[in-house]
Formats: sequence, structure tokens, C-alpha cells
Amino acid sequence: QAIDDDCNQTGQILAAMLDWPQGTFASGLSLEGDRAVVEREVDGGRERIRLRLPALLTCDLRLNQPRYATLPNIMKAKKKPLEILQLGELGELGALGAAPSRLRVLKLEEPPVRTGGQLVEDVPKLVEKLRQSGHV
Amino acid sequence: RPASRSRPAMAWRAAPRAAARLLLLPPRRGIVSCIDPSTGLTEEQKEFQKVALDFAAKEMAPHMAEWDGKEIFPVETMRKAAQLGFGGIYVKPDVGGSGLSRLDTSIIFEALSTGCTSTTAYMSIHNMCVWMIDTFGSEDQRHRFCPSLCSMEKFASYCLTEPGSGSDAASLLTSAQRKGDTYILNGSKAFISGGGDTDVYVVMCRTGGPGPKGISCLVLEKGTPGLSFGKKEKKVGWNSQPTRAVIFEDCAVPVGNRLGAEGQGFNIAMKGLNGGRINIASCSLGAAHASVLLAQEHLTVRKQFGEPLANNQYLQFRLAEMATRLVAARLMVRNAARALQEEREDAAVLCSMAKLFATDECFEV
Repeated sequence: QAIDDDCNQTGQILAAMLDWPQGTFASGLSLEGDRAVVEREVDGGRERIRLRLPALLTCDLRLNQPRYATLPNIMKAKKKPLEILQLGELGELGALGAAPSRLRVLKLEEPPVRTGGQLVEDVPKLVEKLRQSGHV
Repeated sequence: RPASRSRPAMAWRAAPRAAARLLLLPPRRGIVSCIDPSTGLTEEQKEFQKVALDFAAKEMAPHMAEWDGKEIFPVETMRKAAQLGFGGIYVKPDVGGSGLSRLDTSIIFEALSTGCTSTTAYMSIHNMCVWMIDTFGSEDQRHRFCPSLCSMEKFASYCLTEPGSGSDAASLLTSAQRKGDTYILNGSKAFISGGGDTDVYVVMCRTGGPGPKGISCLVLEKGTPGLSFGKKEKKVGWNSQPTRAVIFEDCAVPVGNRLGAEGQGFNIAMKGLNGGRINIASCSLGAAHASVLLAQEHLTVRKQFGEPLANNQYLQFRLAEMATRLVAARLMVRNAARALQEEREDAAVLCSMAKLFATDECFEV
């Protein structure tokens, strides 16, 4: 389940902004020299791609077995320093984030109000009506 | 849904898995669960609870029935738990412990119990023993015993009860006669959890006169000449931890293995048990919580007379009673845990009340 509000966009958009190759839904990963071989779970099955590094990957459930957090690590997490950066401090990357959206809203309208339907007596009449109105 | 639901005889095997699955489901948005064990906890405590629930569901629940049926002492699983810090939860970090509070500990044992109550109960005894050495031991003793116990490379047992002294613990008879720089132990302990399979024994024995002031606390290891064990007791339930008598016959223990001063042993034993009471009560909470979830699921799924069981008012009342008992017991236990960690005067009594109340109420659940 994508953690960006189920959008499944963050990794892909970031890769495009960085102009890096991307391997998303990774369920298998191995490194061959300066290339990453990523096995991806896609609608049609599994796909294998070879990416030049640096590359951006997003992971799928089957990539590995997550470790349990240990009690000492949970306590240390609370004490880790949290550095807050301003967009202006990020240089090039900040400029990317501050860039205007590439989307322009052309028009916004409500869907048409639903009009009433028609009752027909039997199936042949229904088929006739559907043919007449061009739905079939 | 597991297929075993339609075969009642097999359903009990699927039960721990089903409960564990239910416990891991995220709470449905907009619906507050009155029995949610994470209410009122800090973010950090919720994280501890999550890890423990996760571990219970994935590492313990699937094997619980097998451990019980085949009387397996799940050493490897407990060692995995120790790697996460569950081997010395309220033991100081400088000897390998996690340095958490009594309330944190209660939350963790409650969560682990949803996977296997019997194993968690043993783990709580182990934790209690390590704490005793950590708290009352010298620097040398702490560093000698605690690290390997926190990692569960070695396991511990608590030896107080004897055939002739249960409730009247201070009348124990196991004697420890001082001879130079050793104590010679003679006597036997009964019903010792882990006995025979564990490595380190924390033993309360008589070094002085009668009564509590004559009792001292010694630590000895399996393999010491004169230390032997009775037959493994046949139990009904709680079979994932072995129970045996522990027998001392002219067993020599170095004086350097005594925790605290001569005559301090009973005090050490009782202080250990305060935490032990909270821990065992917490185990009951976990078992009850898992039971309530299973009952709730069964009521919604099972149909008789054309309706889900949940439509029957009587059963709704019973479920409400179960939930009420669980919440009341949990409040008692967590209140006692806070009192103990704050070292309040009423802590010992509250721990006893919590143990009494929680085990009885959760048994009813």
C-alpha cells in the first residue's frame, strides 16, 4: 500500500525530477557492478530490468522480510536529532520543489444532473430502446 | 477465513493464529475500541507494544499449539525475543538490559501473551531473576551473570517454594551451611518453572536462624556437583515450560555467589515477586484480550437459527461482561505497575491485588 495517500506517485515523480532511472514495485534486487537488476511485480506478471546507478527504487511487499525494531533502538529513535531545513537551503533540489506546478486547471464543472429513466415492458423493448439511443 | 472454522474440532488450533491476525489489524477508522490496549500510552510505549504484538503474532502464535502439545520449551524463539530486548526488560542497560519501566514491561508481556501465554509467563520469571541479580548483586555478580541472561544465551529459574513451604515461604528449610568460602546446600525446591532446562538458579536458602531473617539468596549454575532435578511434572496446560523439583545434596556454592547480605534473601525474594505479580497478571491480560477478540469474531461469523450469534442479546451481554472484566483488570495491573516504579508505599499491596484480580477476572473471560 503506497504511503503517499495511496497515490503511488512520489517515487516516480522524484525519479523524473532527478532524471534518474526508476525501478518501482521491486520484489527482487541484485547489484551487478554499476547496474541494479530489479525484478518488478507488474500487472502482467514479473518483469526484470537493468538500471544504471544511481537509480530510484520503490519496494513491494515481497522484496524482503522487515526486521523487528529492537527496544533499545525504539528508545534511541526518540533521541535522534531532527534537523529541519528550509527550502531555500537546499539549492538545486529546493528550486525543483519550489517550481510552479506543471499542471494548469482549464475548467472545473459538476457532472450533469441525473434525469429520470424510462420503464420498459419487456426485454425486446429494452434492446430496441438501447439500439435507438446508440448505446448498443 | 481459515477452512478450519467449519470443523470445530480443528478450530482450537487455528485460534491463536486467528486472534493474532485480529490483533494486528489496524483499528477501523471512526470506531474506537473500548478494549484497545494502546489507549493512554505514550508514543514510545505504543511502539514497544507494536513490536511485541508483531512478534507474538508472527513468531509465537503459529507454534503455540505445537509447543503445548509436544511440551517444547521454545529456546530459539525466546532467544529471538531476547535479541529484541525482551530478555532483561527492566534490567539496566550497562549489563545488557533494556532499562524500561514496570509499566513498559507490563505492556510488553501483555502483548507477548497474546501469542503464547505459557512461554511469556516463563519469560517473565526469567526477567524477574535477572532483575534480582542486577539490583542486589555486586558489580562483579552483575557483570558475571546478567549479560548472558539478557541475551538468553542462558536461562534462569527462581527457587523459593518447597514441598513444605508454599504460602508460608519464610519457613523454608533448604539449608546453606557456611564452610570457609563456600556454602553447602541441602534440601529441595518444588514446582520450579524451567527447572532442569535452565542454566542459572536463584535460590532462597537458610543461612541463619528460623524465620525470614535467616534466609539468604544464592545464585548457582546447572552442572554444579550436588545439583540435580526431579522428573518433569505432567501438567494440564502450560506445557511450553518444564516444571521440575530442584534438589541439593551437599551442593557447594561459593560465597561470592550470594546476592546481598546474609539474611537479606527473603527481602530480595519478595521484592522480586512484586514485579513478578505484575508480570503474571499482565500475561493473563494478554490471554484474555486474545480470547475476547476470538469470541467477538465467532459471534459475528457463526450463524444459528438463521442469524449470526451476535444478534442474541444474551450473548451480547456476555461479550460486554468479558470486555468489562478485561478493562477493569488492565486498569488494576497498570495502576500497580505505576505504583511499583514510583516506589510508593502501597506498591506491594497493589501488586498483590492486581495479581489476584487480573488472574481471576481473566480466567472468567
